[in-house]
Amino acid sequence: MVRAVGRHRGALLVFGVAALVPVFVRDAYFLDSLVLILLWGALSAAWNVAGGYAGQVSIGHAAFFGIGAYSAALMGTRFHQSPWLGMLVGVALSLVAGAAIGYLSNRLRGPYFALSTIAFSQVLLIVASRWRAFTSGSEGIPVPFRPGFATLGLSHVAWVYMALAVAVLYWAIQVWLEHSRFGYRLAGVREDEDAAQALGIPARRLKVIAVTASAALTSVCGTLWAQYVGFVDPFYVFSVDLSVRFALNAIIGGMGTALGPFLGSILITSLETYLRATLSGVKSGFTGIYLIVYGVVLILVVRFFPDGLAGLADRLRARRARAQA
Amino acid sequence: MDPARPLGPAQIDVFAQLGVSTVLLGGIYALIAVGLTLIFGIMRVVNFAHGEFLMLGMYLAFWAFTLLSLDPWFVLFVSIPLFFGIGVVTYLLVMKGVIHASHNVQIFTTVGLSTALQNLALVLWSGDFHTVRPWHAATPIRLAGTAFNLSQVVAFLIAIGLTVLLVLFMRWTHTGRVMRATAQDRDAAILMGIDTDRVYRLTFAIGIAAVGAAGVLVSPLYAVYPTAGLQFVLLSYVVVVLGGLGNMMGALIGSLIVAAVEVAGSYYFGTAWKEIFYFVLFIAVLVFRPAGLFGQRGAENLGV
Amino acid sequence: MRRRISLTIAVAVVVLACTAWLTAATWGQALSGEYKIGVLEPLTGPLAGEGKRHLEGFEVVRDLINERGGVMGKRLSFVVADVPDPTAAASEANRLITRENVKIITGTFSSRLCGAASEAAARHNVIYWETSCVDPRFNKRGLKNVYRTEIDATGFGWYNIDFIVKHLAPRFNLKPNELKIAFISEDSSYGQGVTESAVARAKEVGLQVVGPVEYYNFQTINDMTPIIVKLKQLNPDVVHHIAYTNDAPLFWRQAREQNFLFKALVHAGATGYGGSDFGKAMGNDGNGVFALLEPGPGFKLESLKPDGQKIEKDFRDAIQKRTGSYPLGAHQLAGGGLWLLKVVLDRAQSDDPEKFRSAVMGLDLPVGTMINGWGVKFSETGQNSNERVQHYMLQWQNGQLVTVWPEEFTTNRAKWIPLGPWDQRK
Repeated sequence: MVRAVGRHRGALLVFGVAALVPVFVRDAYFLDSLVLILLWGALSAAWNVAGGYAGQVSIGHAAFFGIGAYSAALMGTRFHQSPWLGMLVGVALSLVAGAAIGYLSNRLRGPYFALSTIAFSQVLLIVASRWRAFTSGSEGIPVPFRPGFATLGLSHVAWVYMALAVAVLYWAIQVWLEHSRFGYRLAGVREDEDAAQALGIPARRLKVIAVTASAALTSVCGTLWAQYVGFVDPFYVFSVDLSVRFALNAIIGGMGTALGPFLGSILITSLETYLRATLSGVKSGFTGIYLIVYGVVLILVVRFFPDGLAGLADRLRARRARAQA
Repeated sequence: MDPARPLGPAQIDVFAQLGVSTVLLGGIYALIAVGLTLIFGIMRVVNFAHGEFLMLGMYLAFWAFTLLSLDPWFVLFVSIPLFFGIGVVTYLLVMKGVIHASHNVQIFTTVGLSTALQNLALVLWSGDFHTVRPWHAATPIRLAGTAFNLSQVVAFLIAIGLTVLLVLFMRWTHTGRVMRATAQDRDAAILMGIDTDRVYRLTFAIGIAAVGAAGVLVSPLYAVYPTAGLQFVLLSYVVVVLGGLGNMMGALIGSLIVAAVEVAGSYYFGTAWKEIFYFVLFIAVLVFRPAGLFGQRGAENLGV
Repeated sequence: MRRRISLTIAVAVVVLACTAWLTAATWGQALSGEYKIGVLEPLTGPLAGEGKRHLEGFEVVRDLINERGGVMGKRLSFVVADVPDPTAAASEANRLITRENVKIITGTFSSRLCGAASEAAARHNVIYWETSCVDPRFNKRGLKNVYRTEIDATGFGWYNIDFIVKHLAPRFNLKPNELKIAFISEDSSYGQGVTESAVARAKEVGLQVVGPVEYYNFQTINDMTPIIVKLKQLNPDVVHHIAYTNDAPLFWRQAREQNFLFKALVHAGATGYGGSDFGKAMGNDGNGVFALLEPGPGFKLESLKPDGQKIEKDFRDAIQKRTGSYPLGAHQLAGGGLWLLKVVLDRAQSDDPEKFRSAVMGLDLPVGTMINGWGVKFSETGQNSNERVQHYMLQWQNGQLVTVWPEEFTTNRAKWIPLGPWDQRK
């Protein structure tokens, strides 16, 4: 037990700080940002299950996010049910969609798979924005805020703990992946699929399972997001930008590590918010500057730290080991 | 209104007009896709910033037209060497470092490039929509019940010409052969003494030159604004995959097919659904024939 | 090979993040004598062009307000935030409320953003003053401190069909049930909202709606030919087209090329045919198109009440000075909304939500008293009424959008009714 804690000092620190923040800080903006960091982190962790651990890099995870968001919104506004029920519906739908994507992943490699996931998410976008009778089309769905746990109408502080619970759960799932037999076999598939199959590992099935699970986890967060922000807009929830964001945090933090997505989320969300807050008040002509910086930073980080922060950690550790030798 | 009514003179007009639009639209898509198929085909890099270079070409034409009153057809000749240079610089600064990295790295590099370029345009030139209106953009051509635009025809002809040029280049010149060899098997190419870095640099530069020229040519037809590339980029990927990576003729045929799907889909089901048609086509191609119409079977697994 | 993040890295990241959060955005200190409100507009992303213009309109009217003594005895100032998407809208609203301590938030212009932003404001009991988004559901969520100065999409549909029935149909010598109308629209929330309302109203008054609505995505539309070909077969008298910006010149150019003839084209709003980019793109070739907007050139100041004349003139002069042109729709919506806010604050002398609300509900001014010739009367749900938010039909004449209707407000008259052959609209 002590050893386990020692192994996960980083996670303890991050989640511990997150848990303590609402005790000392009452500033709603800070809390709001913390909720977003944890949510984006959890979404990246969900993506990581497919992308980092199974090696199936998708840029279309917004498809599942949108499914979760729409399920909550529609259940709440059209059928007058609790968003928790919406969450279940979203998960069910995402399992199906995830299985479909998983099937695709067995036929396609690398960039082809990535492109096919984009196509899938865009198809869902178009359907959502055109099916006016059911989804209110392009106008989106405002999600009413009704206080209470059953309706996921929580205070800022409660949202922090809700998001934290999900984040810790997703982190734990990833840790389990690292230690379980399923995870080992998945890692084998990721590193060299042909070799793994030669060893008798049912690579195709494992990949489908990973992608399907990833889809369901993403969908849950989509539901939470919809209840938190209060407005589901098809052009946003199914957007490629959002899909890229999920992948990005995991990559920056370290794909295939449990804490990576969260650290990536802390960095990217903070950077983005900091830049936007500092630079957008400037003369309106220069507002795009923060996004230029963002794009350049992205290029640099991906180029020089492709293994993310985990790679950095390895380098530090290697240097320390050399120093001791 | 039932388009399936028996063909009378009015119906023939309808199909003729739709046919002409398909062909001309296909020409424009080909112009854009030709550069992409080169880059994707030979370098195996998914260039998400491809649309942004198109946008830069459009802005070049706009500023040349507005400030110097230069017709885009003239600017075209300037744009090719200019964008060739831009391609080289971009390669050296951005792409070279990640050419041997994993696909994720490459994808996100180009995504970052795409964001940076879009917002660079926004900051420098604001989000206003601009148009380029040379005389030929306002010159309708009416032929046998169909109508189109001189700018479109010229863009189409140049697309054909460019594709043919590139096909000949790839097939008959030494450099072209070298590029094809590198595409087929990078490791073997290195063993044969090919400087793959130089090949990639050239490929990227040619690809960017092609798309920059495309931007100049389409500027009279579409509005110029920072996110103008978005309307073409996903579509170009469909074209490229459909035609087969690295295959110029495939890009041309693929463009026509995508244009036909778009136009027919728009006509029969409504333009709002048109993207669904080519995305579904895209997924179908990926599932059933990922090498595309003209690619080698199994090519999609090479070097990927 | 399991990789792990070292504790050092984790600590570094957390510390870095905390520093960023703490230093991000100045802690709002209102200088004495200054009253700050929050302004949310999309200044990056696909809506940036319009967002920027809205901000310009706000800034110009803010200066006019300050020349007249400001609000509640203090100088009005802004804290501006860029909100390109709904998450940002909610987030930035939170930031402005908690860090900058604003009690009133205004802006957003787009239906995508106003829902999320107003939700966030409502949770903090902060007043949300929307000047432009048209989502009809905006005021139907039971939120008490959420107000909208501009009419919603149903109002646009209302005015457009009104214009067609009262002003165009007689000049075509057609009774409403003989008039064929076709609908085209861009597919965003704006386009869908306005178009569906217009279709509903058209059917109510008995116009012949031909064909389904032709929707398209303005970001990916490359070719209007299939639409034009279909419409040519349907042969409408009036084309109702809600466009964004790049699609309007595309349709008009291709309609001309393919010789698609119809008697009138009607649009609503400051984008597309209602934006200056259309005139720049088309020049005289754009003659004849109608767009429902705020007042344009030709608007008779004398048709307003004395107070209205003064402020409308000052507003126009200020915009002219700043941008070199007549006010654009975006300027007018933002500016008009902000001026109305000042009127409310003058009456309430407080930003306490209860007092503010009673001031809002107590206002009842006739058309012609404010910028754009607006009057004001809010409903219980916080919506300014159709009748008071006077809208005008403008027409492109010789490269300029001029006011042509209602006729009592303008010196110009609508021309080219019906639109003749393409090359004869000089």
